Amino acid sequence: MKLGFRVWILVIVLFLALLVVAPWKTFDKGVLIKSVETNSTAFEQGFRQGQIITTIDGISIGSLEDYSEALQGKFILNQSQKMIFTLKDSEVIYFSDRVPEITVDKIPKTNLKLGLDLVGGSRALVKAQGVQLSQAQVSDLVDVTENRLNEFGLTDLKVRPVSDLEGNSFMLIEIAGATPADLESLISQQGKFEAKIGNQTVFVGGADRDIAFVCRGDPTCARVDIPQQIQGGYAAQFSFTITLTAEAAKRHAGVTNNLSISSSDPQYLSLPLDLYVDDNLQSTLQISKDLKGRVTTQISISGSGTGTTEEEAVKAAEEEMHKLQTILITGSLPYKLEIVKLDTISPVLGDEFTRVILVAGFLALVAASMVVFARYRKIKASLAMIFTSSSEIIIILGIAALIGWNLDLPSIAGILATIGTGFDDQIVILDEARRERFLSLKQRLKLAFAIILGAYFTVVVSMLPLLWAGAGLLKGFAFTTLIGITAGVFITRPAFSDMIRKMEEQTYF
Amino acid sequence: MEETKKISSEIGQSKERFGTKLARFHDKHYKLLLLIPAIILLFSFIYLGVFYSKTGDFIYRDISLTGGTTVTIYEKKPIDQVKDDLSGKLESPDVRGIYDLITREQKAFIIETKSDANTTRTVLEEYLGYTLNEENSSFEFTGASLSSSFFRQLVIAVILAFFFMAIVVFIMFRTFVPSTAIIISAFADILMTLVLFNLLGYKLSSAGIVAFLMLIGYSVDTDILLTNRVLKRHGESVNRKIWGAFKTGMTMTLTSILAVLFALIIVGSFSGILTQIFTILIIGLGFDMLNTWLTNVSIIKWYALRKEKNETRV
Repeated sequence: MKLGFRVWILVIVLFLALLVVAPWKTFDKGVLIKSVETNSTAFEQGFRQGQIITTIDGISIGSLEDYSEALQGKFILNQSQKMIFTLKDSEVIYFSDRVPEITVDKIPKTNLKLGLDLVGGSRALVKAQGVQLSQAQVSDLVDVTENRLNEFGLTDLKVRPVSDLEGNSFMLIEIAGATPADLESLISQQGKFEAKIGNQTVFVGGADRDIAFVCRGDPTCARVDIPQQIQGGYAAQFSFTITLTAEAAKRHAGVTNNLSISSSDPQYLSLPLDLYVDDNLQSTLQISKDLKGRVTTQISISGSGTGTTEEEAVKAAEEEMHKLQTILITGSLPYKLEIVKLDTISPVLGDEFTRVILVAGFLALVAASMVVFARYRKIKASLAMIFTSSSEIIIILGIAALIGWNLDLPSIAGILATIGTGFDDQIVILDEARRERFLSLKQRLKLAFAIILGAYFTVVVSMLPLLWAGAGLLKGFAFTTLIGITAGVFITRPAFSDMIRKMEEQTYF
Repeated sequence: MEETKKISSEIGQSKERFGTKLARFHDKHYKLLLLIPAIILLFSFIYLGVFYSKTGDFIYRDISLTGGTTVTIYEKKPIDQVKDDLSGKLESPDVRGIYDLITREQKAFIIETKSDANTTRTVLEEYLGYTLNEENSSFEFTGASLSSSFFRQLVIAVILAFFFMAIVVFIMFRTFVPSTAIIISAFADILMTLVLFNLLGYKLSSAGIVAFLMLIGYSVDTDILLTNRVLKRHGESVNRKIWGAFKTGMTMTLTSILAVLFALIIVGSFSGILTQIFTILIIGLGFDMLNTWLTNVSIIKWYALRKEKNETRV
């Protein structure tokens, strides 16, 4: 049977969509390198983000467990080890005394990106407190926040400005996978750092301001002490040093020069150095009398963490220190922030949820085609309908994969809406083709498309407002619906009409 | 062989008779039939008026529109007991379960409360006796001012969508009565769905409002089909055109209802969002049948017959 050109267009588009979605990736074996630490040995020796490790020393790596098993016990003696990593199309011979500085993850099964509500992760919608930010201000905010989260060690994240119908501007942060425990304070903490003597500000935070260097990850200048027992648990002290710029240090000297010796404790000067984070007193340093008027560049900052056990206290102190260091390095945010929406979704039920949706979609398709079969008693037409609707879904997925759209629940609802209108349109086509009137088949199908286009434009215009309402959180619905029905009206449904014409012409005469 | 032919022709005749009977009935009473949707519509208006004066709102909002916290905890626990234990500690808590599709075994439970995320976390951790992390729970928090802003915007989105749809319909048919008939049917559809949704005691979520948007599209396509067939085709009686459109339209709507129903059953407890969208669609599609094949049909028939009469007079 000769295929009409509309069917050919559908077949080609379908082929391209499948190529983009790449469902055969499901069969890929190995683990994916998600990130490589910059300037690390691993980077020097050839590891890059996006590579896929298939074997290590000849042992095939099929899962994350295999990967950690392969590395287990290799680098404990601080002796250099040689390991051969086979990548998908190359090989890395790794020689070092440290575990490669890379993070790995499962290979994604397709090129589709699933939304947080399906795979887990966190999302925060953040607003400046009390002020309405301009576009430029929001994008500054986005930069600082992104920098701060990266500095904290989060890599797989998206920060972008969004605005809504009422003219509010927000910053939307989306983090895939694991959620750090203190995400909330990390995002919303303004991080305004000030050191005061009396009520005089001596220096302020931020790498480009008065702080030249923040010690981190070096036990000689950043450490957590052994926890002390306190009432109801343990408390651990942490301290780390920061280095002031020469100018800030001079200013510091100028202020201490004017201080007298303390009357109560002659070891120290009369006023201490108070360190504030977001206007809260973080620590107070007594200034030794020897330092009066001296240029000091190194200042120690301390704090503590508590917990019911010793380990918990140490962990809390470490986390608090890490957060404080991050804030001091990346500088303060220009505004007080407010988290207006915060979702942290566990990945636990993600796979099952996806499965449920697939089953639901499949059964909906079957149910609809059963109704059609019951009415028309034509197996070929019913199969053509299933084919047409399935290809609409594949085309939507293809476009989503192409532009990296996150398929969240609203997007999936949009796909369902598309299938629904698709079936409606196909029924219109079938019925118009069957009306045995004086018009030619071609004219009748043209009439069908008058109805279909009318319905199409009503849906298009009714979806438009949703692209802006509600900070774009429901945008996915409008987006997939628009793509789906557009592909439907211009590609799949004309092809369906061609198929029906072929079938009708064959049976008619 | 002959006998079966005879029987089938008899059936055909009785079918025909049924058809003509129906046509005659419809010819006689179609204006009266308009009363049915009109009464329901009137009831809907009164109901919503009373509802508004009682609650100060047109719907019961769920926490996605009032602000609050939804927590999913991946543990088996009797729902009623959790609810009893938490009431008083959290602000108006709502508890429901998530069950496996096939085994019906409980997989998790969901708590919705107007309290903020931190309060909820503290209360729940104390109640459960362990720390909640991303391994055993999901948290979704929306601030109250954001939710009410969301609500306002989504309502505006629905109104705009409806308005845009109306413009498209007017451009498409360029005649006042038929276009207005479509718009009235779509409006009645949305209003009746909203009222039944309230009557059933459901709380509307932001996703539910999206379902109403979806409904605009779904409800007008059968109306467009009907109007197109009646106005733009020639050489058939109005009744025949309506009957043809009815068969096509009913197949469309029933197909959609069945498809959505299957999806609803499968998704079940798994997703509050999808469950609500599907429920609203099923209710709406049901009312769509009423409004297309009573409301819209009566108006368009009235219009078409009068036009025919005028044309023959000229």
